[in-house]
Amino acid sequence: MSRAVLEVDDLTRRFGAVVANDGIGLRVRPGEVVGLLGHNGAGKTTLVSQVVGLLRPDGGTIRVAGTDAVAAPATARRCVALQPQAQAPLDGLTPRMAIEIAGRLRGMSRADSRAGARALADELDIGEWFDRPATPDGGGLSGGVRRLTAFAMAAVAPVPLIVLDEPTNDVDAARRRRLWKVVRRLGDEGAGVLLVTHNVTEAERVVDALVILDHGRVVAAGSPSQLRGSSDADLQLELSLHPDGEDPSESIAQVPIPINRRVRAGRRVLLTLAAVDAEPAVAWATALRRTERIDGYSLAPATLEDAYLAATSSANANTTRTEDAADV
Amino acid sequence: MSEQNTLSPPAPRSAGVPPRIGIWLSYGNLLRWMMAQTGAMLPFVIVVQALLAAGIIIGFGFVIPDIDTSSAQFLSTGTPTVLLMFIGLVMVPHSVAQARTTGTFTYLRSLPVPRPLLLLADLAIWLLVALPSVAVAVVVAHLRYGFGYSFDWPVLLTASVLASVTATAVGYAIAVSLPPLITQLVTQVLVFFVMLFSPVTFPASQLPAWFQAVHDVLPFRAAADLLRAGLLADTYTASWRDLVVLLVWCALGVAIGVRALTRRD
Repeated sequence: MSRAVLEVDDLTRRFGAVVANDGIGLRVRPGEVVGLLGHNGAGKTTLVSQVVGLLRPDGGTIRVAGTDAVAAPATARRCVALQPQAQAPLDGLTPRMAIEIAGRLRGMSRADSRAGARALADELDIGEWFDRPATPDGGGLSGGVRRLTAFAMAAVAPVPLIVLDEPTNDVDAARRRRLWKVVRRLGDEGAGVLLVTHNVTEAERVVDALVILDHGRVVAAGSPSQLRGSSDADLQLELSLHPDGEDPSESIAQVPIPINRRVRAGRRVLLTLAAVDAEPAVAWATALRRTERIDGYSLAPATLEDAYLAATSSANANTTRTEDAADV
Repeated sequence: MSEQNTLSPPAPRSAGVPPRIGIWLSYGNLLRWMMAQTGAMLPFVIVVQALLAAGIIIGFGFVIPDIDTSSAQFLSTGTPTVLLMFIGLVMVPHSVAQARTTGTFTYLRSLPVPRPLLLLADLAIWLLVALPSVAVAVVVAHLRYGFGYSFDWPVLLTASVLASVTATAVGYAIAVSLPPLITQLVTQVLVFFVMLFSPVTFPASQLPAWFQAVHDVLPFRAAADLLRAGLLADTYTASWRDLVVLLVWCALGVAIGVRALTRRD
């Protein structure tokens, strides 16, 4: 196996009393798209800022393409292309100029950067605005086109590691799909991609592996199917509770069918069960609704979302009265 | 998606460290980038400079009744300094504070270029914005008072560039050292200090001795006297001391700016 382009070990970073990153370890290998998931404030952006040398870690190591990013941040920056969560400074520039300059700053020839910019504009379907300058205070180009341009600026040059921080914010559904295709292509061409997001459903479709952060710690890691923790045939029963209503699955023993995992998020309860138990599950849920013990229910194929919620809610179970994931 | 994985041949994307690119190539592209951002407001800035110059040269003229030629000359030849200081100490910090608020500052710091180049590019762009103000002030003063100049071009050029770069570097240093909101306040106070409490548009002899001593180490009188020596070489001579004072402030501003760009919190 080839060496990872991003190796983070035992990374710790504090802001005063808050531990934003608490002993984080993760790997991104060439050709791999790794999703970094977590709620707001989970420590995702803090991690990224240390990789590109904007913040200094309190402890632990970061290696980018084999380079010690803490000791040699300038070298590490040459190996990482970042699309930050904030908008890139595009005022006065056209998408064409911005993408070409980004390529030139990474050592591409004039012809290569020009061809690369054109190709990405076509892939992302932003040709219509390719030569329109962005003007100050958000004029000229929409937020979505600016975001796609910033993405293209990170994607145009061949670098070992690409870090994308919420790349699809403000982007319409059709172009989101195009963007994910480019992300997949970058991985297939051999780049490592670290995709920072809190959108579990979108990430699930493009990533090879996922790392879930919660309160600065890695609470789960693995491939999407590993994290789903169940066979693809599993189903998810979602119960919508009444406001302040009791939870009929509070005690697993009261549920008449075997439950692989139970997660509660506010008024929603997500129960993972085997496909063969679909019929009794529907019967049970229908009875609950008829007796008005629940507001409603739905049954669908199991997704990563409940695994994600299970992983991120277990850490603060005591404070929010959310039950731990119960593995039966 | 996974079927595609196995079908598409891996393109040559190396996993090694990309080679370092030439410093001039980096600088040139940074300048292109920043010029596109700032260049759009250049005509606007020149109009503001002309208005400010008229405000000082004509407006201050009203404050002094029966102004004689030497006072008019002093006032007029101090005006370029006020304009350069206004750009460096108000417009530059405003722009940097905005860049810090919007994330532009962070974005630029994450680029694969040596970070001091970011400051050098800013200095060059603002120099380009500021230099026309010297010409604007000279023309406005000539139209109002009609006196002639005796240019010492090497002194004038050196003084203009140094005063502009120093003001920009100090303004940059202020904006990276203070929170954005405080930066706005400080720069407003500074511009009043330069216009009303600095011997730029009036002779230092009108100030109390202790305040003159303060201005011996501040960059404002030094910049004004150097520029005046370049504009009225027959009457005023440049002093090495003023040059050294400006150079020290310039170096201090650059050092603080570079430190803020390269530091990892």
